[in-house]
Amino acid sequence: MTVHNIYIFDRVGTLLYYQEWNRLKHSGMTKEEEAKLTYGMLFSIKSFVNRISPTDTKEGFLFYRTSKYSLHYLETPSGLKFVLNTDNHSQGIRDLLQQIYKEIFVEYVVRNPLCNLNEPIQSELFKTKLDAYIKQSSVFLTKSM
Amino acid sequence: MSDDILFELLHSEIISYTLQNADEKDKEKKDEDLSNLEYIGFSTGYRIIERLTKEMARFKEELDTMKFICTDFWSAVYKKQIDNLRTNHQGVYVLQDNSFRFLSRMSSGKQYLELAPQYVTFTCGVIRGSLANLNIQCLVTAEVQSLPSVKFHIQVQRS
Repeated sequence: MTVHNIYIFDRVGTLLYYQEWNRLKHSGMTKEEEAKLTYGMLFSIKSFVNRISPTDTKEGFLFYRTSKYSLHYLETPSGLKFVLNTDNHSQGIRDLLQQIYKEIFVEYVVRNPLCNLNEPIQSELFKTKLDAYIKQSSVFLTKSM
Repeated sequence: MSDDILFELLHSEIISYTLQNADEKDKEKKDEDLSNLEYIGFSTGYRIIERLTKEMARFKEELDTMKFICTDFWSAVYKKQIDNLRTNHQGVYVLQDNSFRFLSRMSSGKQYLELAPQYVTFTCGVIRGSLANLNIQCLVTAEVQSLPSVKFHIQVQRS
């Protein structure tokens, strides 16, 4: 099981934060372009899912899976978007994303008066806390094969 | 829980508001004027002490008062006790908080060090106000070397 990378977007699609752990293949474009592309895709999926759903959607888009990886998506009521890519065996990522939001983002970004909201996160403390949190979670195990 | 965050957010808004006002008054003055902030702290401390000590006996000595500040007072306002109290027995006290409430979520190291004074000034005033109402006139300054730890220096003025 392994974690590839995380994106945090705000309500209007600004990339607030990006970090990667075990990412073997790069997209060959800058981080900003890649983030825009990711956000655009997520935006489309979200509206697609909402339109096409035969019943009323409660939570809407939750995740998708390819043959190689899974993308997990959490959107808060305030419009923040947490996107985590993992391998296909990982479980309980939704709770993990909730915890990251509650225990890392709210604690070290929202409660830090020097972090401007809606701007990329500069706080070193947030960075280290998030890194430690991901690394100690059960999902994070580097492939030894 | 929810009142904790209210106090914290209000505190940071007061700081940005007073600094903004100071900027507009003296545009040529480069130094940030924190005295308003200190005075807000002073009156807050002066009043809060009435409430906190209403059921307590009088303090016998200055040191007792300082101990009260470090334990009861600090846990009421900052949700923890002071980690270290030192004195030279000649009116100088150093109160050290290793994880100061307003700084603990900002950084653990040198980041934002130059902005730290803004976030400890109010507390300097609170300490000064509290002690003033307990009949100790003093000067309170703060020293931040590495966040989130703060040292408050209290210098009692003897007449």
